[in-house]
Amino acid sequence: MQLERYELKAEQSLKVFEFTSEGPRGRISKIVPFGETNLKGLFNLAFGDKDPTTGEIDDAVVSNNNDSDKVLAAVAATVYSFTKKYPGVWVYATGSTKARTRLYSMGLTKYLIEILEDFDLYGQRLGDWEPFEKGVEYEAFLAQRKK
Amino acid sequence: MIKFVYMKPKASDKNKSPIVRMDKSLEKYKDKVLFKDKLDKANEMLKTIGLPKTRKHS
Repeated sequence: MQLERYELKAEQSLKVFEFTSEGPRGRISKIVPFGETNLKGLFNLAFGDKDPTTGEIDDAVVSNNNDSDKVLAAVAATVYSFTKKYPGVWVYATGSTKARTRLYSMGLTKYLIEILEDFDLYGQRLGDWEPFEKGVEYEAFLAQRKK
Repeated sequence: MIKFVYMKPKASDKNKSPIVRMDKSLEKYKDKVLFKDKLDKANEMLKTIGLPKTRKHS
């Protein structure tokens, strides 16, 4: 997937990434942590804006910086980088609202062929996981890099 | 006799592995629980359904 995306920064362990969104609302720093869940080898992917003054992270804020494709491409790049460093892990993601989950689903659908070359991808629906399919509404997503 | 074989990286690997610059200022987030609400929700859901039982796309 060769998409235009933002340059990534990370701390040494590659579990927390940062990139800067640029658009009509200015430069907005985004933080992407891969948080350990209670299930060994499964990490929660989230991302949000960093407050420039306090350094606090907010995942509910709507940036409206007209660059959602580029932002999602950068988040996808963090998944490539993280799963290269930690092969075999599972990455779980969901949106903070239904609308955001749909937006992520659309992004996954758009590049599904390319994604499936590298990842096994599942969607959560009706209390279970199923292989991700286009046009189905999911509550969350789970991916594992192929060996 | 030992043979050395040079394996060229696949073009797709080169394209997909992003360049990541190290930034020590991000170390402060490493041990913090960020997005705790989301993480709690994920843990709750995983407790119920766990990992996929069905395997992969056909």
